[in-house]
Amino acid sequence: MIGKPVIELRNISKWYGNVRALDDVSITVRDGEVTCFLGDNGAGKSTLIKITSGLHPHDSGSLRIDGKDVHLSSPRQALDLGIATVYQDLALVALMPVWRNFFLGSELLRGVRPLRRLDVQRMRRVAHEELGKIGIDLPNIDAAVGKLSGGEMQVVAIARAIYFGARVLILDEPTAALGIKQSGIVLKYIAAAREKGLAVIFISHNPHHAYLVGDHFVVLHLGRSALDVDRSQITLEQLIGHMAGGAEIEALAHELGHVTG
Amino acid sequence: MNRVGRRSALRIFLTRPEVGSLVGALVVIVFFSVMAPTIRNPDSMSTVLYQSSTLGMMAVGVALLMIGGEFDLSAGVAVITSALTASMIAYQLNVNVWVGVGIALALSLGIGAFNGWMLVRTGLPSFLVTLGTFLMLQGINLAITRLVTGNVATNDISNMAGFSSAKALFSSTLDVGGVGMSVSILWWLALVMAGTWILLRTSAGNWILAVGGNAASARAAGVPVKATKIGLFMGVGLCAWIAGMHQLFEYDTVQSGGGVGLELEYIVAAVVGGCLLTGGYGSIIGAAIGALIFGVVSQGVVYAGWNPDWFKFFLGAMLLLATLVNMAVRSQVDRK
Amino acid sequence: MKCAIVRAPGRLVALVLGTVLLLSACSSTGGARSAETAGRSFPRLRIAMITHQAPGDTFWDIVRHGAEAAAANDNVDLIYSNDQYVSGQAVLIQNAIDQRVDGIAVTLPVPDALGGEVRAAERAGIPVVAFNAGFDAWKRLGIPMYIGQDETLAGRAAGERLSREGARHVLCVIQAQGQVQLDARCKGLQEGLTSGRSERLYVNGADMPSVRATITAKLQEDPSIDYVLALGAPIAMTAIVAVKAAHSKAKIVTFDTNGQVVRAIEDGSIEWAIDQQPYLQGYEVIDALWLLITNGNVLGAGRTILTGPSFVDARNVRAVAKYAARGTR
Repeated sequence: MIGKPVIELRNISKWYGNVRALDDVSITVRDGEVTCFLGDNGAGKSTLIKITSGLHPHDSGSLRIDGKDVHLSSPRQALDLGIATVYQDLALVALMPVWRNFFLGSELLRGVRPLRRLDVQRMRRVAHEELGKIGIDLPNIDAAVGKLSGGEMQVVAIARAIYFGARVLILDEPTAALGIKQSGIVLKYIAAAREKGLAVIFISHNPHHAYLVGDHFVVLHLGRSALDVDRSQITLEQLIGHMAGGAEIEALAHELGHVTG
Repeated sequence: MNRVGRRSALRIFLTRPEVGSLVGALVVIVFFSVMAPTIRNPDSMSTVLYQSSTLGMMAVGVALLMIGGEFDLSAGVAVITSALTASMIAYQLNVNVWVGVGIALALSLGIGAFNGWMLVRTGLPSFLVTLGTFLMLQGINLAITRLVTGNVATNDISNMAGFSSAKALFSSTLDVGGVGMSVSILWWLALVMAGTWILLRTSAGNWILAVGGNAASARAAGVPVKATKIGLFMGVGLCAWIAGMHQLFEYDTVQSGGGVGLELEYIVAAVVGGCLLTGGYGSIIGAAIGALIFGVVSQGVVYAGWNPDWFKFFLGAMLLLATLVNMAVRSQVDRK
Repeated sequence: MKCAIVRAPGRLVALVLGTVLLLSACSSTGGARSAETAGRSFPRLRIAMITHQAPGDTFWDIVRHGAEAAAANDNVDLIYSNDQYVSGQAVLIQNAIDQRVDGIAVTLPVPDALGGEVRAAERAGIPVVAFNAGFDAWKRLGIPMYIGQDETLAGRAAGERLSREGARHVLCVIQAQGQVQLDARCKGLQEGLTSGRSERLYVNGADMPSVRATITAKLQEDPSIDYVLALGAPIAMTAIVAVKAAHSKAKIVTFDTNGQVVRAIEDGSIEWAIDQQPYLQGYEVIDALWLLITNGNVLGAGRTILTGPSFVDARNVRAVAKYAARGTR
């Protein structure tokens, strides 16, 4: 259903030792929407996804999924709830072939109890098909995934998440290391996922990319939520200005103008 | 629009991790067939296979563990611990030998579980954790044997109940066309098949490859990393039990100082067989070929009548060569 | 201090334990016990025995049993230590000097390297008696007694007997490289063997299957080998298996006996074993030291006190069998 809240963070805080990474953050993520988390390095974006993906537990506040309070203790738990995260390092194992990576943790099996084995044929076929659907035609599905280009690896990870029935797709800086054309592929795919009814959380520190696909924008600054608005309430220029360094960039421009002038 | 998969069969074959070791094996076999003609006799081949099998049994467990990204330096002495346990339990408690065998199995699996648990608990490199276990087991082997038997070796249990049936299972000699083959060779082959199956055809194998290749990614994908690692160490324990039982029933008594230094031979067999030291890639069949290379070289030196002082040098040189060939073949094929 | 947290029963237990420990500590030193020997009571002596035993060498087990028997009889506190490397052995001798023991029984695998420590012990007033190794050097180091025999002598005796038996090609199996006593045995064999030639085969004693495979391979490679000389009882037992696997007609002889070897001599799988009587060596060196310390007696009149070699073969094996079974022969 479009617009229904699927993840609700209420007053979430997280400490790493003495450092407060998140301070009283409240955000709602809805189905069929792309929610963008923006902010400078160290703002708390990574911590936020680690909590929603089950890697680290939150220290205080409540995390609600489909209206129910949960305390995630493992990535497996998050995956079972339909939350699929695509990390910056992609959760892909470079040495393994594409099809093994595609089905990692969710291998297809055949046969009876004592001799349950991998259904290699089916896995290779499905992996090839799914990648074909998003326009990646690999000459060799057995090639190590480390041999793909950066953009291709991103999309393999996203395709995997969607195939396994993710309802929430969390993408951690997917375009950070990509060129324009590759970024375009990823952004198109994010839009397609939204059309399918998924909730997408798109983390970035590139406001241009975010504004191309985002429906809702959250800017984090030093662990706190500095801005939380719908697309209809903000323009790209305002968004850029709000991100960390808006005022600082102006001052910097002044200074530099002084020096070179 | 199907551009997938129709690479030449040769290309596919050449990218397999075992290829380098296969080439290496052919090189040493041809070399020693020429330098030491005696090796070509069926009896000699039986001796070479016997040597390879006792090393190869352990190489299966150690290779699986290495593919999973870890080392076990206690593997050599663990074999002796298992054999000592079975022997001393049976003798001192005066029970059927099979009771000792069963308790030794439980202990070997327990030692493996301990290694794995220490690893996941402390987060230290497995090199360090198992170095500690190695030293402890070495000391325990010597000290407990002395405490219990007063000597450095266990008592002879060959006249105890259950001995002959256990010996039949773990160390009999089969007549294959007039040549005597030790049953350890069958155990070795069975372990290789089981190991290959697990690695390539089960989800556990997928997990092992992932955990060794990138444990963080594996965890993020929902793979039970800790359980996989503990399981791998217990696998080494199982192999140590099989190897220990063979040794006990073949030689009746166990020298408590044995096993030291062999852990490195197992690692070498695995590396020669194509297992990356950093994990995530390798082959159990490759490790078996590695063990075979070891057997051919170590016995070939004797068959060639070379000065035994040179043995270690030749062994090292051969193994280095086999590893280089392995890497050369891989890099050739990986170039696109 | 956390004393306040310890509840009363805990403190009581600690007190009781402490008292018990204190009492037991008191009772173990200071000459409390005395031996009943000829109606006179003698103080309890502390004697250090320092050998070049390598881990797992069964020969030294028997030496140690003998030493422990003498220690029990003479009311001696035996401190046994060993290091296969001579530098380590030297440190152990120094440790014994630092501990101010009453006497030191030591083997001299490399006499010149240990000479310094021996003289240091003598300067500290600690009598030293040598045994088992150092046959031709003990006198010039100023040591009053030497018990046992040299490995080279034993090797020569083996060679001489094999010559009498007409051996043509003897394989000397060395189970650990770099060990002086094993090398000395093979060297002695070479010197004593006049009817044929001898050859060394190195095997890895830490890996019994490899020992078997290597001996088998050697026998398969060279059918002219008619005798296999093992340098330790366990290796001899494995040699039996290897000879059978190689379908070889070679006979097996060995150094040192144990229960299994004795049984093998009885059933003919092993021809004979050369027995240096390690139990006797261990016993005598402690006993001789005791006499030297308590009564200034010197045994041997400046000559080696031999304990062997003696041969255990089919003719006399039965007499030895029951002692071998209990681990003292």
